Amino acid sequence: MTNVFTLLRITDRLSLQFGSDAVGRFFLCLVTIMWVLVGIYAQKYKEHQKHNARFFTFYILTWVMLAALTMAANYLTMYLCFEFMTLLSMPLVLHNGTPESIAAAKKYLFYSIFGATLGLLGMFFTNAYGTTLAFTAGGVMDPAKIAGKENVILWVAFLSVVGFGAKAGMFPLHAWLPTAHPVAPAPASAVLSGCITKAGVLCITRLIYQIYGTSLLRGTWVQTALIILALITVFMGSMMAYGEDLMKKRFAFSTVSQVSYVLLGVFTMNEAALLGALLHAAYHSIIKDGLFLCAGTVIFWTHKEYVSQMKGLGRRMPVTFGCLAIFSLGLVGIPPFAGFLSKWYLASGSLSEGLPVLNWLAPAVLLLSALLTAGYLFPICIHGFFPAEGEPEAEGKEGSGLMLGPILILAAATVLLGIFASPLKDALQAAAQSLL
Amino acid sequence: MNGISILIVIMLPIVGGVLLPLLDFDARRAREYYVLAIVIATSVFALSLISGSEGTELILYHLTSTIDIAFRIDRFGGIFALLVSILWPLSTLYAFEYMRHYHKRNRFFGFFTMSFGITLGVAFSANLITMYLFYELLTLSTLPLITHDGSREAKVAGVKYLVYSIAGATAAFIGMIAVLTHGGSLEFNVIGLGSAVTEANRAFFDGAFLFMFFGFGVKAALFPLHGWLPTAGVAPTPVTALLHAVAVVKSGVFAVGRVVYYTYDADYLAGSIVQKLALWFAAFTIVYGTVMAWKELHFKKRLAYSTVSNLSYILFAFLLATPSGLTAGLLHMMFHGLMKIALFFVAGAVMHQSGRTYVTELRGFAKAMPVSFGVFTVASLALVGVPPLCGFLSKYAIASAAVEEGSRSAYAGLAALLISAVFTALYLLTIVVRAYFPGENYDGHNLKDVTEANAYMTVPLVTLAVLIVVLGCFPGALTEFISGALSTAFPGL
Amino acid sequence: MSLIPNIPAFSIILLMLCGIVCLVLPARWARHLADCAIALACAMSAVLLVAFMRGQEVFTYSMGEIGAPFGNELRAGPLEAAVATLFSVVTLLSILGGRAHLRADIGKKKVNLYYISVLFLLCSMLALVYTNDLFTAYVFVEINTITACGIVMSKEDGYTLAASMRYFIMSLIGSGLFLIAVSILYALTGHLLMSNIQEELAALYAQGQYRAPLQVAIALMGVGLSLKSALWPFSSWLPDAHSSASASSSAMLSGLVLKSFIFLLVKVFYRVVGVDIIRSHAILDLLLVFGILGMIMGSVNALFERDLKRMLAYSSIGQIGYIFCGIGLGTIAGVAAGIVQVAVHACTKAMLFCAAGGLMDASGGSKKFKDLEGAGRRDTYAGVAFIVGTLSMIGIPFFGGFITKLSLVTASVEVGGWRSTLAILAIIVSTILTAIYYINVTAIIFRGEEKTPTRASEKLREEWKKQMRLDTEYEFAIVLFIILNLAIGLQSDRLMDVIRAGLAVFG
Repeated sequence: MTNVFTLLRITDRLSLQFGSDAVGRFFLCLVTIMWVLVGIYAQKYKEHQKHNARFFTFYILTWVMLAALTMAANYLTMYLCFEFMTLLSMPLVLHNGTPESIAAAKKYLFYSIFGATLGLLGMFFTNAYGTTLAFTAGGVMDPAKIAGKENVILWVAFLSVVGFGAKAGMFPLHAWLPTAHPVAPAPASAVLSGCITKAGVLCITRLIYQIYGTSLLRGTWVQTALIILALITVFMGSMMAYGEDLMKKRFAFSTVSQVSYVLLGVFTMNEAALLGALLHAAYHSIIKDGLFLCAGTVIFWTHKEYVSQMKGLGRRMPVTFGCLAIFSLGLVGIPPFAGFLSKWYLASGSLSEGLPVLNWLAPAVLLLSALLTAGYLFPICIHGFFPAEGEPEAEGKEGSGLMLGPILILAAATVLLGIFASPLKDALQAAAQSLL
Repeated sequence: MNGISILIVIMLPIVGGVLLPLLDFDARRAREYYVLAIVIATSVFALSLISGSEGTELILYHLTSTIDIAFRIDRFGGIFALLVSILWPLSTLYAFEYMRHYHKRNRFFGFFTMSFGITLGVAFSANLITMYLFYELLTLSTLPLITHDGSREAKVAGVKYLVYSIAGATAAFIGMIAVLTHGGSLEFNVIGLGSAVTEANRAFFDGAFLFMFFGFGVKAALFPLHGWLPTAGVAPTPVTALLHAVAVVKSGVFAVGRVVYYTYDADYLAGSIVQKLALWFAAFTIVYGTVMAWKELHFKKRLAYSTVSNLSYILFAFLLATPSGLTAGLLHMMFHGLMKIALFFVAGAVMHQSGRTYVTELRGFAKAMPVSFGVFTVASLALVGVPPLCGFLSKYAIASAAVEEGSRSAYAGLAALLISAVFTALYLLTIVVRAYFPGENYDGHNLKDVTEANAYMTVPLVTLAVLIVVLGCFPGALTEFISGALSTAFPGL
Repeated sequence: MSLIPNIPAFSIILLMLCGIVCLVLPARWARHLADCAIALACAMSAVLLVAFMRGQEVFTYSMGEIGAPFGNELRAGPLEAAVATLFSVVTLLSILGGRAHLRADIGKKKVNLYYISVLFLLCSMLALVYTNDLFTAYVFVEINTITACGIVMSKEDGYTLAASMRYFIMSLIGSGLFLIAVSILYALTGHLLMSNIQEELAALYAQGQYRAPLQVAIALMGVGLSLKSALWPFSSWLPDAHSSASASSSAMLSGLVLKSFIFLLVKVFYRVVGVDIIRSHAILDLLLVFGILGMIMGSVNALFERDLKRMLAYSSIGQIGYIFCGIGLGTIAGVAAGIVQVAVHACTKAMLFCAAGGLMDASGGSKKFKDLEGAGRRDTYAGVAFIVGTLSMIGIPFFGGFITKLSLVTASVEVGGWRSTLAILAIIVSTILTAIYYINVTAIIFRGEEKTPTRASEKLREEWKKQMRLDTEYEFAIVLFIILNLAIGLQSDRLMDVIRAGLAVFG
């Protein structure tokens, strides 16, 4: 961490500190760019909803907290930002004020706080068994103190990672995500799915690499268990998405699955996998934001929410559906679109790690999930562009520039970052190396 | 300062309270000035005693050859006195407004003021018997406050309160006498049982400990002895707030702390069966309280169950019998007082302004009562344990103490703590959410005649909110003050 | 100090003589004479007590110069002196405290008889305290019974007649059983003097002879005296008798008469039967169990009572249970606790009965709870007395009740085993129940509107003021009772010293 700034020193051990490192900067950039693009989109989308002042207040406050989270320099600050991000993003979920959205917000609150509380458990033990609460490459656990207590520490590590995994939609604390993301207004769904889930990823990364340390966790049952959980989530999310008709919910299940790709890379704990994870974090943010914005555009103009209602819409809204097709290709991982490269690194990282069974199981699950991804994304475009014979003509029109602009930018990024990936890859490689 | 000053600070509100029904003020103003003058004078005096006269002693009376009625100012009691002296003037102010529509206000404020002195008596007692004296008096002086409105419900609550409290106090008393007959000391300046414990009578002392723990545990609302607390919520809100979140329940917790660290000691308890048993009870109560609070829809009862759970946080911390457990417990004792009284005050303000008593009736209230619900939000977040508000610090301290202790029972408590944190968020934040986000189909017609409470209520509320934030961010002075209690409880440190 | 050994005999005879003289005096003079005689008895007992505290040895006083084994002996030690002082002081205060009622309740022609009864009652109680002779004890038991019934009956309404008849019959059964036991003991040992019987019994016991008759004698003594001292379940007569009598009669009956039999019982156990025999006997356990049941049942009954004096009477049953609980523990500390309770309950309950009289006056003569609302405000002395009584019963330090609780808990903790557990549980339960009904009644007598008294209560207050014009005696008595209670609470060490010293030389 460099440029450490102490906001408040509560006690000797506890202080609110901010600083920056490569991973933090990467997430900060990612989040901010997404926020701006989605914010522009929301300027048009807001015509669709009430209480806009409240919406934008919390939209911005959530960004502030998320930005603070990326720059948090110690466990306490991270926990604080994490909690506040939950609380401040909750109004986005319940913005529509319908009974379902309020119920969804409560569910979101419960899972997030439960997760954060498990995270807090980690902090208690870090306080007692670590040298400091500040994020330090290689971990802060004091080997002298944990001697004889390794098993307890491993359990704590496992639980706290699972806890923060709630935010990233990791099984078993994933159930809130498909409920909460679809009920929010489209811009909010976009950032919730695209960015806030990454906050969970960031927290887990910090825990594994900068608090517990890979030397403590590598090769233990914790690593195995976490990878298995990630794989379960990857597969399960895809399966659920495949069976879901409500478009935003389908995307939300897709998020569950895709974020666990990232987590898989984080849990694998080698450079290639970590690079793949960071790349996939970036790509997934771009693509998922794009997908949700497309869905939002469709809802905005046609009020159609189900995949089965999309028939023939592609002809009325060619740009939107064109972009949707690009995002779908990217997320499935067809070269040269963005998603390919990240999955490549994830698979190769996992193969080279040499964990028994998992080293081939993980790539297999990734492939299977990619197939499923194709299975749940392509039909949307197919329905849109090629309605069956005899379907009535669909209503709908192409959106305004405020909405199309951000979508087009994201689509362009999906293509360009796939083709010209090396600057991003180099930067992230440096970040990954700094963590290891 | 002279020992007599302790007596003065205790007797001033007691005498003032006794005189109030006799003076029988007709004019509201006159009564308010009178009560406020006494309360503030006592607070100031108490604070000056705590800060400047530690170690002052007064042996009031040799009751029997082995029992003295005596007072001493030490840090442990000083912390309790500090909490009480801060909160009492605020609640008095709040009560002026709240009680405006009640009858028999002279009687009410008489007992209200008396309870202040009696609580200070608990804090400044120099041995368990003196504490028992004030502990019993506290039951008696708060009983009329609980039954104040004279309804059947209130009377039932009063009887329940009486039965639980007297039973608890008697059990504790039996424990004390048992310790005394076997050569232990009840004086707080004698740490531990010393040479009184032998292999043969250890079981006996264990039994005495359980008697005292469960006896005082009644006021500390330990499961299964907590039944009176939610019922006692029928009392007027200033009473519930002050006595059932601060004075009465905290005196139970305080007493357990005294027993654990002063009558017994860490050497005796650490790792013993009784400690484990007590820890498990506390851990269970933590979970039980929050779950019940979550299920409860009555506003004040929800807060009462929340108190049940939070008191056991403190008990749990005390029972760890380590230096960090002691400081963590004291810290939570202070902070929980601030947070819970703020929450109760908001519940009372809502009842006073609108007559609503159920949490489901509060949709959109934040708009009508912005100050109250602002404070409620702050206090809720603090109680949930969001940094950097004060509740986080104390919970953090308790959890760290548990981790440090490292036994199985401590881990059980830690798990209870975490589960409870989640439920706390649920039962408090749902209220906040409902108040701020009433939902789509809500027209606000039932809020038309609801207005923000006046300054009598909002000033204490805002003061509390400020304290919650400031003490959370800058706890240095307070934690230093609290760690002063270590030197008396752990002379070896 | 050659006068000291004469005090016991002299005080008994003085009271008896004054009683006889009262018969022929005009009512007013009889009253004054009675007051003076009782006051004198107080003073003499107090002098005796002080003498013992200054180191006077235990002494035996033979009546009429006839030595043992035929003569009639009095024996006095610190304990006897203390109890005698207590009895005479409480009698005096009860008379003073209930004077106003006596005027109203007792017909002009009966005044002399009443004071004669009181004098003989006190006389018999002192005799029971001092006597060292079983048969003398029996005689005074009978005198006690008759005079006690007399002071109940003197109120002369239907209730008291019925109640006193019931009381009389139960009492006579009790004294009958006692007499049989005395005869058995006489047959076994050939003695009537307590100390002599004990020697013989110890010898017989050591040889293993006559176990069964001894068993029977102890049982009869126990049952007979428990019947008279209202140990539950032999207490059914008590509430009627105590609640229907005039205030000072109730105060004496509840506060003292019961206790005199308990004292006799202790004497029988420890001086006649002897420590070793009695400890190996099941009677103590029985007393413990029934004492505990009494503690609880008395309180339960009191809890549901809506009549002030009946509530106090039931409360007495509960409090007597404490005494038997202490005695039943079978240790010195237990007996000491029982005797402390004798003292505390004597002054507390007598005070409460006097105060109850005051409250009734202030509420138009009714003793129903619903009529007593606000009575404590109208009669402040009674109000304060009930507050003190309540605090004492709950066991707040500084008050007498605390000392009872302290000593009883200490004794039960020390005993160990099932007795300890049972006693401790009983103390907890009984404390709760006692607290509830006393606090309830205190709340009732202080209830009522502030400031705006109803017209009815205003009228009552006026009437009462008129009626109370002479009653400084009542106020004086209440204040002294309160002081007495506090004195026990504050000077318990001295009391305990006297009791322990007394018990050490008792057997």
